[in-house]
Amino acid sequence: MTAQIPVFIVVIPLLCSFLTPLVGLWRKDLCYYWSVLALSLCSLASIDTLFAVIQGGPIHYRMGGWAPPFGIEYVIDHLNAMMLVVVSAISLIVAIYSKRSVEQELPDRAVYFYTIFLLQVTGFVGIVITGDLFNLYVFLEVASLAGYALVAVGEDGAPLATFRYIVMGTIGACFYLLGVGYIYVSTGSLNMADVYQILPDLYHSKVVLTAVAFLLAGLAVKMALFPVHVWLPDAYTKAPSAASALIAPLMTKISLYVMIRVLFTVFKPALFIDLLPVADIMVWAGVIAILGGATMALAQTDLKRMLCYIVVAEVGYIVGGVGLANATAIKGAILHILNDAVMTVGLFTVAGIVAYKTGRHDLSDCKDLFRKMPFTMAAFVVGALSIIGVPPTCGFFSKWYLIHGAVIAQHWAFLVALLLSSLVSVVLFFRIIEIGYVFQASHGEHANGAEHTAIDEAPLSMLVPTIAIAVAIILIGLYNQTILSNIIDFAVPKL
Amino acid sequence: MFEFIVNYYNYWMYIGLMMIGFYAMMAKRNLVKKIIGMNIFQSAIIFFYISTSVKKGGATVPILEYAHGHATHGIEHGANAIDVMQYANPLPHVLMLTAIVVMVATLGVALAVVILIYRRYGTLEEDEIMKLVRRG
Amino acid sequence: MKILSIIAGVLMGAALVYGSLDMPKWGDPHSPASTHVSPYYLQHSIEHTATPNVVTSVLADYRGYDTLGETTVVFTAGMACLFLLGKGRKRQGK
Repeated sequence: MTAQIPVFIVVIPLLCSFLTPLVGLWRKDLCYYWSVLALSLCSLASIDTLFAVIQGGPIHYRMGGWAPPFGIEYVIDHLNAMMLVVVSAISLIVAIYSKRSVEQELPDRAVYFYTIFLLQVTGFVGIVITGDLFNLYVFLEVASLAGYALVAVGEDGAPLATFRYIVMGTIGACFYLLGVGYIYVSTGSLNMADVYQILPDLYHSKVVLTAVAFLLAGLAVKMALFPVHVWLPDAYTKAPSAASALIAPLMTKISLYVMIRVLFTVFKPALFIDLLPVADIMVWAGVIAILGGATMALAQTDLKRMLCYIVVAEVGYIVGGVGLANATAIKGAILHILNDAVMTVGLFTVAGIVAYKTGRHDLSDCKDLFRKMPFTMAAFVVGALSIIGVPPTCGFFSKWYLIHGAVIAQHWAFLVALLLSSLVSVVLFFRIIEIGYVFQASHGEHANGAEHTAIDEAPLSMLVPTIAIAVAIILIGLYNQTILSNIIDFAVPKL
Repeated sequence: MFEFIVNYYNYWMYIGLMMIGFYAMMAKRNLVKKIIGMNIFQSAIIFFYISTSVKKGGATVPILEYAHGHATHGIEHGANAIDVMQYANPLPHVLMLTAIVVMVATLGVALAVVILIYRRYGTLEEDEIMKLVRRG
Repeated sequence: MKILSIIAGVLMGAALVYGSLDMPKWGDPHSPASTHVSPYYLQHSIEHTATPNVVTSVLADYRGYDTLGETTVVFTAGMACLFLLGKGRKRQGK
């Protein structure tokens, strides 16, 4: 039985999502508890798999018992296992958080919301866990379709934003499929490990070159690398709060994981560093993404839109870190995938609470929030400090490794971009903190101290997950050496 | 020269089709035309995969009872070895069955979103929608 | 926008045509795609799955998991259409 645990990670959300409409037919309120149950089991399975991989090395699971390359194989190594825990834990936290938000924003369609929520999580874990290129495409499409549906039911203007998201997302997935097709035509196999063995003789073939170009182009659209990020701000701003809290941290990070997988497990790292100038292009793409995202974030007056541009900048950190191509920078990039997922979900859950309380998510709606919602804003401050990069939050440590890697590679442009974006984040977040603290004029007129703004804190089902994420941000920062030495050091390829 | 074209023209055809679809997706103003372009784009990729499964020299469909001239009963006992060269490559067909289903599913969701847009704005031309959005 | 798309399309098409020059000839029975994994399916389909239709045996047995994923895609699209277009929408946008 314990040998089957890796497959439970995908199968449990899948089967539970098939059964959710039936549960909803019976009693509508049960869907929430049903999805929390499914995601808890999924998280337990992924934590168990992580410990199994730490103790025993990579796990190979054959679907249906057929040996690779004739059948589909799951390969779970350290990078995978960490991503699985990240995805399932964040999904669980957002599912717990979503109850009140869904009741307010989508009152009559909660059953379908939770079905598509579980399907989205199935897609995410299916992408992360697989060792077969075409299987990855199938689950990428599951995740994408569920994402389109979740985003389209948001505020006014959401369907239009979703339409652009659909067109660009389909282009990305089709470019990925084209790249896989070129790899298949030149090697005859779809299994990642098998292709790794066969390809090195073919590195000088134009077909492989085109395959690399299209794989990376397709993934660049999916991960919202500047300048093909244009679908992201509209789509994630107009989505419902629970949907954006789920998709915004995870979709881009999972596409970044697929890029790392393709670069290091399907192709040899030497291809990108020595034979093709891909690594240099990646660092410059990262620099442009960081500067572009930071600049656009400064110009926003809407809280969620500003957070979306911060997500675009964070993608730039990771792409640049991978492109620097030394062990420290790649360690920093992989740690940053973990950290950024946690930080982003923290900030988006706070934005969702603001939207729940005030009905909008403008920057001016943050007035006086420090008195009305002290715990929520405390969590917000922790998330903000992490994005800026203040110890002991986790954001500091991954930025430190990235800066160290930039110094080793002597890439001063990337170093300057990193430091500049920290400064810009200081400006962005202190602006919000100022709005939250200072606007007390309308309540200060009355007699000193007699008039108190009542504490109108978020409901517990939304507050507890937000605080849990803030605590996690600090804990991941404090324990980052444990995480690095046990997991990430094994995930960095030998260069 | 003729040899060269005959050996590679299937690739050029799919590239041409794909670029037509890409142009339609990017440059057309009407939302339904963009969706049609997306469909053409995906169909071109399916076309590419299937074209790689052909084997010249008389390969037939990959169903093991239709070999040229040989009876294929008793295969289980290894009596007649199967000549792989007589059958087309089955794997791209399998992959593309899945890809066609994915294409149709995406088409369905895209059309549902277009219905939502039409309910809200009353038009399907992108520039008119932008004008309505700007007006607030 | 139209001119930009035409230029982008022509450039991408040219890159793809350049990339296709090293491809195996069309219909080559000794190309890597036809000689690496596929012969296994053709030779062992009857022995492993007792199905003469090799496409079926690959779809449902050797790569049956992809078929499960495909079924999930259909289910997701159906749920998405119900979610987006279902009854009970009293308010048109917020």
